[in-house]
Amino acid sequence: MQVTTWKKLLSVAVLSATTAVCSAEEVTIYGVKSLSGSFASYGKFADMGSKLAVEEYGDLLGSPVKYEAIDTEGNAGKAVRKVQEAISQDGALFFNGATLSSTALAIGKEVDKAGGVFMTPAGADELTGTDCNMATFRWSVPTYGAIHETVEPLIKAHPEWKRWYTITPQYVFGEALLSNAEAVFEAEGIEHVGNSYHSLQEQEFSGYLTNAMAAKPDVLLLLNFGGQSSNALRQAVNFGLKNEMKILVAWSSGLDQLQELGPDVAEGVYFGAQYWHTVETPMNNELVKSVREAYDMAPNYPMAADYIGTKVILDAIAKAGSTDGAAVAKALEGTVYQGPTGEETVRAADHQVLKDYYLLEGKAASEMQDEDDFAEIISSGESFPDESSLDCTRS
Amino acid sequence: MNTSKKQASIFSGVTLAALAAVVLMPLLLPSATLATEILIFALAALGCNLLLGYTGLLSFGQAIFFGGGAYVASLTMIHLGFGLLGALFAAMIAGAALAALVGLLAIRRTGIYFVMLTLAFTQMAYFLAYTLSDWTGGDNGLLDVPRPPLTLFGFEISDLTSSYAFYTFVAVMFMLIFVFARRVIHSPFGTTLVAIRENEGRASAVGFSTNHFKLLAFVISGGITGIAGALYAMLLNFAPLSNIELLMSENILIMTIIGGTGSLLGSLLGAGSIVMLGDLLSSVWPRWMIILGIALIAVVLFMPSGLWGGVESLIKRWKERRSGASEKAAKEAEAK
Repeated sequence: MQVTTWKKLLSVAVLSATTAVCSAEEVTIYGVKSLSGSFASYGKFADMGSKLAVEEYGDLLGSPVKYEAIDTEGNAGKAVRKVQEAISQDGALFFNGATLSSTALAIGKEVDKAGGVFMTPAGADELTGTDCNMATFRWSVPTYGAIHETVEPLIKAHPEWKRWYTITPQYVFGEALLSNAEAVFEAEGIEHVGNSYHSLQEQEFSGYLTNAMAAKPDVLLLLNFGGQSSNALRQAVNFGLKNEMKILVAWSSGLDQLQELGPDVAEGVYFGAQYWHTVETPMNNELVKSVREAYDMAPNYPMAADYIGTKVILDAIAKAGSTDGAAVAKALEGTVYQGPTGEETVRAADHQVLKDYYLLEGKAASEMQDEDDFAEIISSGESFPDESSLDCTRS
Repeated sequence: MNTSKKQASIFSGVTLAALAAVVLMPLLLPSATLATEILIFALAALGCNLLLGYTGLLSFGQAIFFGGGAYVASLTMIHLGFGLLGALFAAMIAGAALAALVGLLAIRRTGIYFVMLTLAFTQMAYFLAYTLSDWTGGDNGLLDVPRPPLTLFGFEISDLTSSYAFYTFVAVMFMLIFVFARRVIHSPFGTTLVAIRENEGRASAVGFSTNHFKLLAFVISGGITGIAGALYAMLLNFAPLSNIELLMSENILIMTIIGGTGSLLGSLLGAGSIVMLGDLLSSVWPRWMIILGIALIAVVLFMPSGLWGGVESLIKRWKERRSGASEKAAKEAEAK
């Protein structure tokens, strides 16, 4: 009799263990990063952020989370082909990353077709606008917020700065920043004394800076980003523009750009940023600590963006309790969570994360408390277009 | 008699080797999409090879035809409801027309001036595509490019949604164009192109209108490259702006040179090497482009006929050694 009971117990234990093993769904998250090619310096930090999020997460749905990096080679075509491959070969459903807007837009379409989830920090407003879909979620603040949270606070703090000049890259992203800036100028009674357009490949800005000097503005607003904004700013400083007017870089990449520029260039210049490592929020304090321990550095924007992008997807999988893409996307919609910038909300209507954007002012070398203390936060806040004015018409 | 011999040569030898590669690729490579990308770039390299390898024209204008084909196929499918074959035909015509336009002006000059003109045209085309963002999507690229089903006389043969079905279609296209290119090369027209490459002055002196021949080579190359661009847009469901930039021309040229100029199979080998090298090495080492540079230097210095030239010389050496060994064995047997 005793033997029979033991046998029964053993068989129940074996059965439960087998059921547990069978029901454990292995979650793999795919990091779409530009690990080689023109944007490799950005992709490296983004990859570090995603890896850290996965390492810290531990088990999900009964097994450890796996992470696979997909190198875009800085090329949208390669990125799309590799994502297609991951979807068709491995049944991949969960993606995070993409530096370039073109890459993010095209990947969003592929992931949507596969019924997955894609969280990106890319800049194109179309991601949550005209090209929005069920799969795509965006962490970074759109151009609307970037302008409203940088231009408006400066105008309010310095009503005497009445004349503004803009330098704009002539493509979709630059045009979006410019049209938002013009709307703010009009609303605030600012005189837009001129604009210089430049091409996508421009690296020499002296001609545009000379035009800006001739217009005698109070503020020079740079609407380009990355290497172009760094080059434009360096050349503006060499021309002595910092002594004649204030300079605002509306869309900077944060710490890594300021490290590259150094305090001599950045001192007294205003920068708009999606993230800054000294923000005092519970989650950011944790993130700074983890990054210091793991990589011995302060987190920068690509690292923080891809860390939180990865973590939010994993949290949504846990919330949905399954790896069904549609269920995870549904779980993400309307989610409120503690992010690096404080309380962040995934707006259900367009899949835009509502979060703070920061206005920074560059410090002098003598004022820096540590090697990463390049700027102080002047103001921060959330600015997003109303739900009624969204271009997203997802079916 | 002669004609049948020529036809036999077109459908045998290198063509059979290409066919074998096309059949084996999806079985040996990690995915059908990777194999498809290789075949598409092999087509682009093949178009480039007609110019560089057989006519001696170093053109940096290939991206114009590749990007132009991608845009025209995409736009005709999106706005005019063209089917698969209609869009490919439109892309071929667009590629050929663009090549005629570039060729008409560029072939008036030779050497470095010709190269500079093709460079300038590519830059112009890039900025045109970038400026006409309402049509091309600008830097965001042209999204939602469809991949229509393959239909013939109203009957749907395949919906081409699976990666293997699309690979099969691209493979058939590749083989058809490969055979066509061999036919062109083996024709009197092709022989004249080689004569122009070897000595344009002499070809002109014997009565050939070399500019007309070069222009026609340009048009054929543009048509083939246009088809490659269209297939690439259908593969990705997307036509990125990078299709029409100078870097694309450089990539196509590198594939052609590494594979071997003057060899159609070399185009397949070159495209395969570069696409796979990028795929394998980029996940291992972010600075993999350095290896690509070293490979290019090594090929130019030690294998001027490219990888296919290297393979050919290995085969030749092996055959010589084999025949030498059999001769030696025959002599020894005779002596005994």
